[in-house]
Amino acid sequence: MKVVLPDKNIKTIDFTSVSIEQILLDLGINPLEVIVSRNGTLVSEDMIVGNDDEIQIIRIAHGG
Amino acid sequence: MKSESVRPTVPKCTFCENPAIVYRKEVNHHLCKTHFIADVELRVISNIEKKTLISDGDRIAIALSGGKDSTALLLLLYRLLPCWNDVHLIAITIDEGIAGYRVETIRSAQRLAHQFDIEHRIISFDDIYGNTLDSLLRGKESQACSICGILRKKALDKGARDVGATKLATGHNLDDEAQSALMNVLRDDLPRLVRNSSTMKSPYFIPRIKPLSDLSEKDIATYLLIQDAWTDLPECPYTHNALRREVRSMLSDLEYRYPGTMLRIMDSKRKIEHYLSGIEITEPLRHCKECGDPSSGEVCQVCLIKRSFSH
Repeated sequence: MKVVLPDKNIKTIDFTSVSIEQILLDLGINPLEVIVSRNGTLVSEDMIVGNDDEIQIIRIAHGG
Repeated sequence: MKSESVRPTVPKCTFCENPAIVYRKEVNHHLCKTHFIADVELRVISNIEKKTLISDGDRIAIALSGGKDSTALLLLLYRLLPCWNDVHLIAITIDEGIAGYRVETIRSAQRLAHQFDIEHRIISFDDIYGNTLDSLLRGKESQACSICGILRKKALDKGARDVGATKLATGHNLDDEAQSALMNVLRDDLPRLVRNSSTMKSPYFIPRIKPLSDLSEKDIATYLLIQDAWTDLPECPYTHNALRREVRSMLSDLEYRYPGTMLRIMDSKRKIEHYLSGIEITEPLRHCKECGDPSSGEVCQVCLIKRSFSH
């Protein structure tokens, strides 16, 4: 599974299936501080994703 | 990380068959795009009605920095305008003079005001205080947020007065409000903890309203993103110096582990406000002996800051 991190670096993780929330926690990211898309579509963090998916993590800028 | 043999699943919206894009843990609702937008707008209108933030005939100055919160504020108030009679919106942007940050957000504010055909005023620190924030802060960077906050407040008040506003709306969200409440507790600042600027009955101040104060920072970012209104803008370079940064991180962690923490902090603040209502805990307002503006002390905070610059 390809994961695009908030700094645009790409990480490849080998999973059969896992929740997005668990991916974030394993990466040390608080799910409340980011928005996540799966294959370009916004999804809720309790969604289970598979190895063929591409996940993008967008950090929410503070202020404004 | 351990592999599991569960097939990929997409949670459905609690209210329809569409795929959910958001899970609101605190109310146990999955929401699709349509129902999330409706949910956000309902929470904003409920907040406005509950606190009587807007009345027919109001002329509302929106503090539009161009960042995500004020963008959402403009978008939401514009959409909700038909809820009232004869309410008028004007956008005010403060240019503090922060290199590498403010130019981009001002451009975004200008685009928005143009898109919604809203009158837009830009007021700079340079015009009001004779210098940019970057120059004023040299050697005082650790106090950036408190100094900027005081100077911005006066600049916004001036802007709102200049356009004849009856209300000044800011994009403060639930995260901002819970952080401020906790910071006031940490600083033992009871007067600020219980101050409610939306109901102040002073002839000196235009009431400040915070229509988004029941929405989380994530709600706002999601609301913008799903409507293609999200612009990836830089963060203010001075936020790294603030106590707020530590409080934000701690509260965010608590909110994740104990959903509803921020709402409960705000409930506690309201209870304290209620218990203390009618009790005078702040100095009565008088006029600053240097600039004549309303002040709780002999000299207002803006003039105190100006004095510190001249030293």
